[in-house]
Amino acid sequence: MTGISARGIEVRYNGRPAVAGVDLEVAPGEWVVLVGPNGSGKTSLLRALAGTVAAVGEVEIGGRSRGILGRRRAARLVALVPQDPVLPGGMTAAEYVLLGRTPHLGYWAAEGAADRRMALAALERLDAASLAGRPLGALSGGERQRVVLARAVAQDSAVLLLDEPTASLDIGHQQQVLDLVEGLRQERSIAVLGALHDLTLAAQYADRLVLLARGRVVAEGPAAAVLTPEHLSLFSGARVVLLSGPGGELVVAPRREAPGEERGWGASARAGAEE
Amino acid sequence: MNPEKPLRRVGPTGLAVALGLLIAVLVGGVLVGAVGLAPGRVLAELVDRLPWVSVDSGLSRQEAAIIWDLRLPRLVLAALVGATLAAAGAAYQGVFRNPLADPYLLGVAAGAGLGATLGIVSAGAASPIVPGAAFAGAVGAVLLTYALGGVAGGGRAGTTLILAGVAVAAFFTAVQTFVQQRHADTVREVYSWILGRLSTVGWTEVGLLAPYAVVSVVLLLLHRRLLDVLAVGEEEAETLGVGAARVRLVVVLAATLGTAGAVAVGGLIGFVGLVVPHAVRLLAGTSYRVILPLSVLGGAAFLVAADLGARTILAPAEIPIGVITAFVGGPFFAVVLRTSRRGWGP
Amino acid sequence: MNRKALVPVAALALTASLALAACGEGPAAETAAPPAGTFPVEVEGTLIPAAPQRIVSAAASHTEILYAIEAGGQVVATDQFSDYPEEAAGTPKFDSFNLGVETVASFDPDLVILSFDPGDLQAGLAALGIPTLLLGPPVALEDVYGQIGALGQATGRIAEAERLIEEMTTAVEGVVTAIPAGAAITYYYELDPTLYSLTSRTFIGGLLARLGMQSIADAADDGSGYPQLSGEFILAADPDFILLADILCCGQSAASVAARPGWSSLAAVEAGRVVELDDDLAQRWGPRIVDLLREVAGAVHGGETG
Repeated sequence: MTGISARGIEVRYNGRPAVAGVDLEVAPGEWVVLVGPNGSGKTSLLRALAGTVAAVGEVEIGGRSRGILGRRRAARLVALVPQDPVLPGGMTAAEYVLLGRTPHLGYWAAEGAADRRMALAALERLDAASLAGRPLGALSGGERQRVVLARAVAQDSAVLLLDEPTASLDIGHQQQVLDLVEGLRQERSIAVLGALHDLTLAAQYADRLVLLARGRVVAEGPAAAVLTPEHLSLFSGARVVLLSGPGGELVVAPRREAPGEERGWGASARAGAEE
Repeated sequence: MNPEKPLRRVGPTGLAVALGLLIAVLVGGVLVGAVGLAPGRVLAELVDRLPWVSVDSGLSRQEAAIIWDLRLPRLVLAALVGATLAAAGAAYQGVFRNPLADPYLLGVAAGAGLGATLGIVSAGAASPIVPGAAFAGAVGAVLLTYALGGVAGGGRAGTTLILAGVAVAAFFTAVQTFVQQRHADTVREVYSWILGRLSTVGWTEVGLLAPYAVVSVVLLLLHRRLLDVLAVGEEEAETLGVGAARVRLVVVLAATLGTAGAVAVGGLIGFVGLVVPHAVRLLAGTSYRVILPLSVLGGAAFLVAADLGARTILAPAEIPIGVITAFVGGPFFAVVLRTSRRGWGP
Repeated sequence: MNRKALVPVAALALTASLALAACGEGPAAETAAPPAGTFPVEVEGTLIPAAPQRIVSAAASHTEILYAIEAGGQVVATDQFSDYPEEAAGTPKFDSFNLGVETVASFDPDLVILSFDPGDLQAGLAALGIPTLLLGPPVALEDVYGQIGALGQATGRIAEAERLIEEMTTAVEGVVTAIPAGAAITYYYELDPTLYSLTSRTFIGGLLARLGMQSIADAADDGSGYPQLSGEFILAADPDFILLADILCCGQSAASVAARPGWSSLAAVEAGRVVELDDDLAQRWGPRIVDLLREVAGAVHGGETG
């Protein structure tokens, strides 16, 4: 059983702190969602956990420090789905997904039949099997995003880091992808840490939310505890209304200003709080 | 659906075509030259060398010497140089994710030029120290580039290295120009070396280059899968367990070894390392699993054909082989430009 | 004319003139007879007002001629390649590759002799009132005699010039007549290791033609007279002799030629018929042309000639 934990993570770009001291833990089988306004440090935190950016602090995977594990073993355990993946235009979707098997191969080894099967299976799971032979440059935004996820699935890791995995997807595919992650989580007890901008989806799928603002954890816990009007005002002064769905799930709905209402960043949050 | 199908490898057809092309060009190179020799006799002469076969080809002693001591070593050398440069070019294009990368990217050309100039100035163009000096200069330039690229920070990322290579090349070229000015009487010899020629080579040069060429090409071929991984960028490659910096270092070392050897023996032959991988990419796709092996064969065939042109177009005079490759490379790039506008890019 | 009778006469004349010439050489040359000849005189279109006493010679060939017609005492500066005779090597030197009006004028010359004009040098010197003679590379042996005559006129050494021409003509005659008649001997004349050669219609080629020799480069002439050959061409032509003129400049030798791939199969290499020529002798067109001719004739036809 492998989870991921981080202590005292700090990330700086040119001296400017993007992540200013974060402790975080995701247990195996847990789904933690990162939420927060733009620039709050979600991507930087994910990159720090994935080891692709220089960071202060300790990251442990399955109880072992990332430094001790080494690059390849860490890659077998942690998969990252980046927000802006590099998609070589001429590469086919199948080849791209096959790249996910790289951590499991030797330095000069080639993929075997089992690897190829897993790659194609991953594509099927994401409803993208028909895209297998097509070059990435010919795919739509949504298709590309599913292919990127398929690569992470093929990587067969114990920890999954997702950075805005649903950004380009239509609502149906958004749900499909999140249901898939949910399925994987249950099958393989994957520890999932994802950043989502859609607060309703975040609330519906997460075991636990972590709210980041200006590089620090502002709130952590179940959705109802984190998504309070006070916290939501951190989202650039958003005007929202918190609703309750038929099954009791939390829905965060944007609220349009009524005529005559005071404009401005701060006033709207106050107005929302009065409801 | 056949699970194997979407994964492109070098299919047997691709290999067969490339190999066939190479063999055809080699045969052409043996049969054709400044001096006309009857094809039947040439083949008879070649067959005579096979064990347990004895055939009288009817060629005079000098004509036989033309085949064995002039044409054949030249063909083999052209094939080795072409294969090495094309493999290095393809590998650099993959490791720097830059379609304009060629084997001379990190200052190799300038370093070799400076080394050769110093050798020619101090010992004359015929001296055996010239190839050694060129080799040393080429390797030295790359080491300096790496040192500079590391010092400049940025963790030796691809672009930093390329920029360091530009700086090193500029510096070495300046020194070379200065030395040449002080020894104006050697300008012709140096220029002729730079243009590249395979005209005075024999089996010794083949023996000199072969170990470097083989090691370089084999190492690069072994890395073709990793080059595909690097296509998604250094950061994502990291998350897939591949250290881009380390792969880049090994690829650069292997490519430099081969390129330095090729340049030491044949001078600065341009465009092979740039044009051949591009041609292969246009015909066979963007996976380095395909591009690298086909570039090796294609590069060999291309340079053998270019050498054939060099020694027959103005026979008995010789056109420097760098001129032939440039004449082909220029128009070829115009073609690439037109076709790439509808393509997906690298 | 009876050829057989001419030989001993020529030999006598040659010996006599050689003896005379030998008398004329040595340290006493400085105090040789003053220049004769009438001045002012027009030579090759240039007016020379008086017998020149401060001559600047920019080509080794002309330097050698000047000293051979006893005008050496009138020479004040020579180019860096003028190393023959010994007295010439001791004169002040200048760089003939970077020749400018100032450099020449700094020697305060009253006659400048050039083999080529690097660009407005003649015009510049004319503007300073310094007469120049431009005597370019000869095409045939007669041109050399012509240049000797011109230099004789220009320096007031007409008698000496005529004597030199006489000596050279006789010596050449002697060498040529001693050549046994027979089929033409083919040769490959190497100018540099990249296999540049010369044809029979060049100056050297013409000289060698008098010895009954024909250049294999004739078949490959591209119009310049100096075509580049290839290894294949030379192997196929299999010349009787190989003449190397790139010994000093480019480090070639009979051994290095034999080591070239495929060249060991050449008849000339096998039989040791590779002649190493002195680069300087082969490139200059002074009185020592005769020595070059003798050397080649001796190597090709063997035994004593001339």
